[in-house]
Amino acid sequence: MINQAGSLQLGDSKYTFVATSDSVEEGEMIEVTVGKETLVVARVHGSVHAVDGICSHAYSELVDGELEDHCLYCPLHFACFDIRDGSVVEGPADEPLSVYSVIELDGFIWVKG
Amino acid sequence: MTTIDKPIMIIGAGIAGVHAAETLRNEGYEGRIVLVDRDTQLPYDRPPLSKEFMLGESSETDISLRSVESLTALRIELKLGVRIVSIDAEKQIAISSDGEIMEWGKLLLTTGSSLRKLQVNGSDLEGIHYLKTLSDAIAIRQKLDGIQQIVIVGAGFIGAELASSFKRLGKEVTVLEHAPLPLARILGDEMGDYFLQLHQSEGVHVITEDSVVQFDGTNQVEKALTKKGRVIPCQAVIVGIGVIPNTFLSDKGLHVDRGYIVNEFGETSLPNVYAAGDCAMWPFRGTNIHIEHWDHAVNHGKCVAKNMLGGDSNAYTTIPYFWSDQYDHRLQYFGHTKNWEATVLRGNMVDKQFTHFYLNASGVVEAALLVNQPKNALAVRRLIKQQQPVDPDLLSNPEVNLKKVHIQAKEDKVSN
Ligand SMILES: Cc1cc2nc3c(=O)[nH]c(=O)nc-3n(C[C@H](O)[C@H](O)[C@H](O)COP(=O)(O)OP(=O)(O)OC[C@H]3O[C@@H](n4cnc5c(N)ncnc54)[C@H](O)[C@@H]3O)c2cc1C
Repeated sequence: MINQAGSLQLGDSKYTFVATSDSVEEGEMIEVTVGKETLVVARVHGSVHAVDGICSHAYSELVDGELEDHCLYCPLHFACFDIRDGSVVEGPADEPLSVYSVIELDGFIWVKG
Repeated sequence: MTTIDKPIMIIGAGIAGVHAAETLRNEGYEGRIVLVDRDTQLPYDRPPLSKEFMLGESSETDISLRSVESLTALRIELKLGVRIVSIDAEKQIAISSDGEIMEWGKLLLTTGSSLRKLQVNGSDLEGIHYLKTLSDAIAIRQKLDGIQQIVIVGAGFIGAELASSFKRLGKEVTVLEHAPLPLARILGDEMGDYFLQLHQSEGVHVITEDSVVQFDGTNQVEKALTKKGRVIPCQAVIVGIGVIPNTFLSDKGLHVDRGYIVNEFGETSLPNVYAAGDCAMWPFRGTNIHIEHWDHAVNHGKCVAKNMLGGDSNAYTTIPYFWSDQYDHRLQYFGHTKNWEATVLRGNMVDKQFTHFYLNASGVVEAALLVNQPKNALAVRRLIKQQQPVDPDLLSNPEVNLKKVHIQAKEDKVSN
């Protein structure tokens, strides 16, 4: 069910509308806000992924980094995270990024939270 | 006993030492790893000391480098409060100030650097500080509440970051710099002027071409006196006038210049002895250079650790890099150059968002300073790695993709 505040209720979970499908092109990412959290939403090989938008290591907006296949590189210390599960592929970060569940439906992208 | 049976010892549990220890284990080394430091604090990160930690935005826990648990899990034997006073490469031992003799099979020196000391009358008064360690930072923070006027000696990176932090904490800040412009030796006059104006626009008083000759006060510093006769009232002074590599662990045959001299694999002139980070001098594109920055310490530590295990398999070629946060400015600097031939500006200084490139005589980008342009960081790093001549017109045009600024690219365009 979609309500007017741009949220979608699926069972116990609330999803927030973050972007239209065409605003997240293949291999690209955008920054969005869900509640108080800054997230990065990216499309890789067709699938949309959402992870923390701020590096887990030091303050830096990941949207300013680069996406190479599934690797998301931070522009400050060049840590690399796997956008699918938030795991650290290459330091200096030692904490993974949180991953948010995503639904893409009828040209709209929804993120849990 | 063979080299393999004895532990790998790392002297200095700073940025390079901790990353090296971790790498040794992660690369599959099964033997003992002994990591010693004269400091009694668990390893911590230094860059926040002048920034978030000074501002009270991050705590000791936030800036801890690795937890005891994670070091234990990797079987890294951390020995704190142990100062090594000498090494002997022939006997393969290190001796601590307590007289303990520690054997090693391979040795990595990651002893970092020390702050250059200001030698003037009154230097031993209360309230005169340096900032290198967590204890230094805590001591400064504890004093801050009762202080209104602060003098910073030296407008280098740490001086500038502290000026920015103290200003945000509502202090009256004077920066004293003996050169005509801040940071000009590294960034050039144009950028030096930009950063001078930045300090001034933030309300920091900058005095250039003058230097402190004396501090006055009863027990506690009350004023700084300068060569040109200025008297600057203050309740605290922070000195940031540069660093000197810690190379006092000499042994016969160990080559030292401005740092332990190492080859591209991190080997010193002594067998089984390696060095990395601030304390090492290493070959970059044919010249021995020294870099006292965080990213280099991490990467050099990791790379040299691999070579300690794999027998010189990894030449170190990482492009030097550092960042600095000052006021609302994030600076990122890639590369290394002293004698650039030309500079190219991309973006607009008025917008506080630009990249300033440093080119050599062949039109190759040797270094670049990014101001509030993190989006360009990885592209600029690639550009510097490529070492291809660029077209200054294309480079200066923010509309042109940084992948397409090489001379070749322009010719292609013309012929099309
Ligand atoms: C306040 C501050 C802010 C900074 N900000 C930035 C920044 O924004 N960006 C950036 O790129 N860089 C920054 N740096 C620089 C960066 O932190 C250093 O380049 C980095 O720490 C170097 O790592 P290292 O491992 O070589 O040395 P260190 O981290 O200094 O570690 C050396 C260790 O060796 C130990 N040691 C030395 N001699 C002995 C001995 N004889 N026996 C036992 N132990 C010994 C020391 O106690 C120390 O813990 C900053 C530095 C400071 C101090």
